[in-house]
Amino acid sequence: MNEKVAKLKNIYTIEDSTIIIKRELTELDIFVKDFLQVLKNHADYLICSGYVSIASGRTRGTEDVDILVQALDEKAFEKLFDDFCQNGFWCYQGDTAKEVYQYIKDLVSIRFARIDEIFPNIEFIPINQNKRIKFFEFNNPQKMRVKDFEFKVPPIEFEILYKEIILGSDKDLADARHLRAIFSDLIKKEKFKKFRDIIQNNDE
Amino acid sequence: MMNNLDYVELYVKKLKENPLIFNQQKRLIEAQMKGSSSLFKAIKGDDFKKNARVYLKKIGLI
Repeated sequence: MNEKVAKLKNIYTIEDSTIIIKRELTELDIFVKDFLQVLKNHADYLICSGYVSIASGRTRGTEDVDILVQALDEKAFEKLFDDFCQNGFWCYQGDTAKEVYQYIKDLVSIRFARIDEIFPNIEFIPINQNKRIKFFEFNNPQKMRVKDFEFKVPPIEFEILYKEIILGSDKDLADARHLRAIFSDLIKKEKFKKFRDIIQNNDE
Repeated sequence: MMNNLDYVELYVKKLKENPLIFNQQKRLIEAQMKGSSSLFKAIKGDDFKKNARVYLKKIGLI
């Protein structure tokens, strides 16, 4: 085994197209895992932004985890909302699905935290096909796993470009640099070209 | 002189050489979570949500 491969295997491996990060779960992972355990019973999702970098080893704190969810109809949302409330979460924007549904309808984010906590929180980002960039990443997920926690994130090249082109803050550029460095053996030039076209030719 | 992005790359290089650095990352993340949690202990209680929402409005999160 050459040295490059040996190093790669120390940090992560790929099994059946899933990126397996070789580290222990943190309390932040467990928070996200508990949230997804409820969400997955009701809707599909994609985790994006800072948590993708943190999950793959970036050393920085975060107060929120961004999760894309396809906008649900009112009845489906009510079931999901009540399930969150019954499983230890509260919503910043209101205590009933009825109060909160207008946000979903208008594609405005809402936030959930554990009962009696404010941070960390989940930024629950409703999307539909009109949000073309987000809709693309949502429909082209990359699986990632830490121990027994498997979750979906955007393709790594897409996440890097989104942070570099659309977001662009110092924190986002550092996250993007981290992803470029940690996955240097995995990322592909042709994917950058394809995703750059999608990001630059569509409005958010 | 190293800038922030150079530091990010150096960290990844060190992490690839020594994955035990993941343990430091875990400690940092959990310390930050504990810090945030204790900061808001003061507003716990019966009126937690009400008081939390006042605070969240102040910082522009709702």
